[in-house]
Amino acid sequence: MSTSPNAQSPLVIQAKGLVKRYGQVTALDGADFELRAGEILAVIGDNGAGKSSLIKCLAGATIPDEGEIYLDGQRAHFKSPIDARRAGIETVYQDLAVAPAMTIAENLFLGREIRRPGFLGSVLQMIDKKRMLEESIARMNDLKVGIRSMTQAVETLSGGQRQCVAVARAAAFAQHVVIMDEPTAALGVKEGNMVLELIRRVRDKGLPVILISHNMPHVFEIADRIHIARLGKRAAVVDPKHISMSDTVAVMTGAKSVDDLPAQALAH
Amino acid sequence: MNSLKAKLPPMGTLGPFIALVVACGFFATQSDRFLSLQNFSLILQQVMVVGTIAIGQTLIILTAGIDLSCGMIMALGSIVMTKMGADFGLSAPVAITLGIGATALFGLVNGLLVTKAKLPPFIVTLGTLNIAFAITQLYSGSQTVTEVSEGMTWLGNSFRIGETNILYGVVLMLALYLLTWLFLRETAPGRHIYAVGNSPEATRLTGISTDKVLLGVYVLAGVFYGIASLLSVARIGAGDPNAGQTENLDAITAVVLGGTSLFGGRGIVLGTLVGALIVGVFRNGLTLMGVSSVYQILVTGVLVILAVLTDQMSRKGAR
Repeated sequence: MSTSPNAQSPLVIQAKGLVKRYGQVTALDGADFELRAGEILAVIGDNGAGKSSLIKCLAGATIPDEGEIYLDGQRAHFKSPIDARRAGIETVYQDLAVAPAMTIAENLFLGREIRRPGFLGSVLQMIDKKRMLEESIARMNDLKVGIRSMTQAVETLSGGQRQCVAVARAAAFAQHVVIMDEPTAALGVKEGNMVLELIRRVRDKGLPVILISHNMPHVFEIADRIHIARLGKRAAVVDPKHISMSDTVAVMTGAKSVDDLPAQALAH
Repeated sequence: MNSLKAKLPPMGTLGPFIALVVACGFFATQSDRFLSLQNFSLILQQVMVVGTIAIGQTLIILTAGIDLSCGMIMALGSIVMTKMGADFGLSAPVAITLGIGATALFGLVNGLLVTKAKLPPFIVTLGTLNIAFAITQLYSGSQTVTEVSEGMTWLGNSFRIGETNILYGVVLMLALYLLTWLFLRETAPGRHIYAVGNSPEATRLTGISTDKVLLGVYVLAGVFYGIASLLSVARIGAGDPNAGQTENLDAITAVVLGGTSLFGGRGIVLGTLVGALIVGVFRNGLTLMGVSSVYQILVTGVLVILAVLTDQMSRKGAR
């Protein structure tokens, strides 16, 4: 484990008082959020706690009704996931993230293919397969993803390897933040660990990671801090090294109030 | 051993080609007139129109769509271009452009209904199939347009290589296949067509506008149908309102026989050329054998089902 970031680490993403209503339902009711440089921040919460609405606001998939989002201290207005991506926030989705019959290299560069130089690239939109292949190998090596051939179709990979491709793609292109939505949900134990290992390497490369997960052992294994969402708000941010799993779940479900926790359990 | 296997094209690509060679071998034993350059040139002429339609159909099927209206749109295009020339005395290039414009417009309508109204392509094109047919009949008064200028039939002329006559239209079709193959293989928009067919959701999440890709594909398919209209006019020497009826399903048959998956995202456009040739070879070979045309239709039907079956099984194998 590398040193966990402390209160001095700069805020990469900050959100204040996010409100999101869907008709009568208030999904976010003044939620705050802070992500620090170099950390893995887990976001947990019961169904309907507002965690997915929160993440969608940060990833640009929904626009909050009220509240502000800051990226590196600058006010951000994301109108679409593409805006968020241009700002350097990459999201990995649980599944659906890859095109199965296409090669690993093509998947890594899907939507931002490297063009050939000059007229061929700019007008004819021809892609530079050789460079894409080289870059793919370099980036996958960088993250120590042990997949040999970048020209094999993604469908020949195991579920965990596919998820590694999706994570590697996000890590390769994210300038600021990688958001991962249940990246290990569909995976077995060994495959899940492989992806966790990769998430750690992404963090160690300096990219902060927001990890949404229902899997408490996974959260406790890799998170530096845990953001607990409850009733559309941030109930607490806790330090997994100083709080038990059962206390965390108790706060998440409302069985225990934040005031009942020892002071050191709270992360700053 | 492993590397050799990786270098060979997958069975889905090679299968249609093997089928074509086997079919040619069979007909060569049945008729001594089959194996001649002149006969092959004739087969190419016969598949020229359906082959060009099938390029557009391939693009659409690669996106996991289907176009049932392709042959009818082609017929409409040939009526529009011939009538523009005959009724208004427009020069061939202008009339041809208007004809291709009409087919592209129909492609746009198909595309808008698929992307904006979110209707299934099967239903949309079933509707436009009938609409295009009706417009063609109404506009032409169900009459063949025989007054066709030379500029429109030029592609029906041939040149000779040795003893063999080759139509300019055939050369155009082959060139279009080559260009489309390069486009799909080497360009970003081409790869996006595969991606949309593979997984629309994953493609959208990477920031590619799947609607734009689909719309582009349907319009481009319309342009190919328009070029096929021109080839049809050149071949028949007239604008025929009843053209396109066999081509309509034959184009889908060619795509499927060529190994493109009806589930989208997999396939090579050159396979469609092979598929079109398989249909052409069977028609030609059975005719030379003196077999009734009803049996030719029967054989085509069986071939299509076999091709889809192979596609289905190879997909299960990949899982």
